[in-house]
Amino acid sequence: MTETWFVILALTVGTFAIRLSGIFVGQMIPQQGPLASGLRAVPGCLIISLVAVSLLSGGPNEWGAGLVALVVTMASGIAAIWLLRHFG
Amino acid sequence: MPLAIGAAIYGLAFGLLAAQARFSVIQVGVMGASVFAGGSQIVVAQQMVAGAGAVAAVAAGLALNLRLMLVTASIRDVYAGRPWWQVALGAHLTADENWALMLAQSARGRNVGYWYLLGGGACLVVVWCIATVAGVAFARAIPEPKSLGMDFAFTAAFIAIARSLWTGRRDLAPWLVAVAAVAASIHLAGFAPSWALMVGGVAGAATAGMLHHD
Repeated sequence: MTETWFVILALTVGTFAIRLSGIFVGQMIPQQGPLASGLRAVPGCLIISLVAVSLLSGGPNEWGAGLVALVVTMASGIAAIWLLRHFG
Repeated sequence: MPLAIGAAIYGLAFGLLAAQARFSVIQVGVMGASVFAGGSQIVVAQQMVAGAGAVAAVAAGLALNLRLMLVTASIRDVYAGRPWWQVALGAHLTADENWALMLAQSARGRNVGYWYLLGGGACLVVVWCIATVAGVAFARAIPEPKSLGMDFAFTAAFIAIARSLWTGRRDLAPWLVAVAAVAASIHLAGFAPSWALMVGGVAGAATAGMLHHD
């Protein structure tokens, strides 16, 4: 319970600091180039790493669940594109 | 409106997952309003369920939020010359959705600025809080979430998020490097999962930085 409040507080302060720093030191942060490309790639790489961690440290159950999730998300994506093409 | 519906579904999903991490309804409500960054909230909840510890959980969440620096930096003119409380409020309420919407509107030549951003952010934060609280309240009403396969839900959620973050073939190399780094960290170096996660994120981002297709 207390640990959860600590996590919420730390995440709140840290996230707000990140948002504010963009405004105040914005001139120093390049919008293009290697650093910007790297920063932009962080969320995707972290999420795919999370998927990798849970699939690698889990057993066949996790692999099966991961496969099902992949098929469902791909099928929903294909369905959305089909609907947009035909009715959009 | 479509953005609000998207946030509502995403929020409901986060609420369900937060219940797994033993977050209370009040904690989820406070977190939604104070953090207001969905991806990092889901990552933090997953890290706590996985037993990574508070510090590792916060580190992973903040790493995911680093890109918000680019988001606010790209529209820093919007906040220029405003009183400090408007800068603070505007910064807090800047999310991917209302930022993208504002840029799309100004690209069409519409005169949108600070109050457009703030209005969008205010709508999003309200929808986000209601949806996440509804999600956690619903999940807490289920007696034993594990029996419903809820423990796989995080992996499914991350795969769905990954799909939405995929921008094209230029992501392929960084993502493969990230996965390879995670596999090597766990199987060769014997790292704890939370550290393997960081290694994967950094290795992937470094690859993207070196390739930099801008």
